[in-house]
Amino acid sequence: MSAIATFLLAIVSAMLIDNVVLSRFYGICSFIGVGNRVKSAYSMGLAVTFVIILASLVCWPIYYYVLVPAGIPFMDTLVYILVIASLVQVVGLFIKKKSPALYKSLGIYLPLITTNCAVLGVAQSNTDSGYTFAQSMSNAIGTSLGFLLIIVVFACIRERLESSNTPKAFKGVPLALVTAALMAMAFMGLQGIGA
Amino acid sequence: MPQWAYLLIAIIVIVLLAIIFVVSFIFYKRTPPPKGCENIGPSEGKCASCNEKGCHFNIYYDKNKKNDERK
Repeated sequence: MSAIATFLLAIVSAMLIDNVVLSRFYGICSFIGVGNRVKSAYSMGLAVTFVIILASLVCWPIYYYVLVPAGIPFMDTLVYILVIASLVQVVGLFIKKKSPALYKSLGIYLPLITTNCAVLGVAQSNTDSGYTFAQSMSNAIGTSLGFLLIIVVFACIRERLESSNTPKAFKGVPLALVTAALMAMAFMGLQGIGA
Repeated sequence: MPQWAYLLIAIIVIVLLAIIFVVSFIFYKRTPPPKGCENIGPSEGKCASCNEKGCHFNIYYDKNKKNDERK
């Protein structure tokens, strides 16, 4: 199999089969909190996608070229948190200064990304699994696109459920959790692909 | 390169990251928001017409409403 095909397959695998939100429960807080309107879910998903890819791009070289030679690979979590927090601040500053339109749609979601465990989880799993740089990038792209897909689909379902006649006790978060569970089961069905 | 040099580089990188974070945080706070984006966030008018009961802004407004009614 060619390198490009392997790269694309890894992206699809991380996006659909091993989706971080539904299989590892990463980023659940923003998934439940922001996934009630399609527009805000799309903005949040895009922002997370951007930060996950950028964080993986920076964290992998720092781990293998700085922390491992220095003999302090156990400091990875602390360094990743610093990288993610700095990246979010710098990107936020740039957007605030240069792109008012983007700031309007992403502005209130940008600080939330710092606390999104999916970003830290991807950077951590890239190094813990011993991925090469290309593998870690495919994992980051696939995971972030998977997050975007799931949060938008979830928001679409919740918007439709809002107008449906549901028992009062189920309205809001309880119904959102039931929806997430059904989505997880649906995506679990994809695990048989290629078996 | 000796081990201590790698360690020194690692410390410099970590300190640099911390400095970048602090400086960008200060600049972010000092930069005024673009025109038309001054009041991004929940507004009482919009939240009052929204039916999403799970949203914490609505929960907050509902609590305030009930407190006002009690008074």
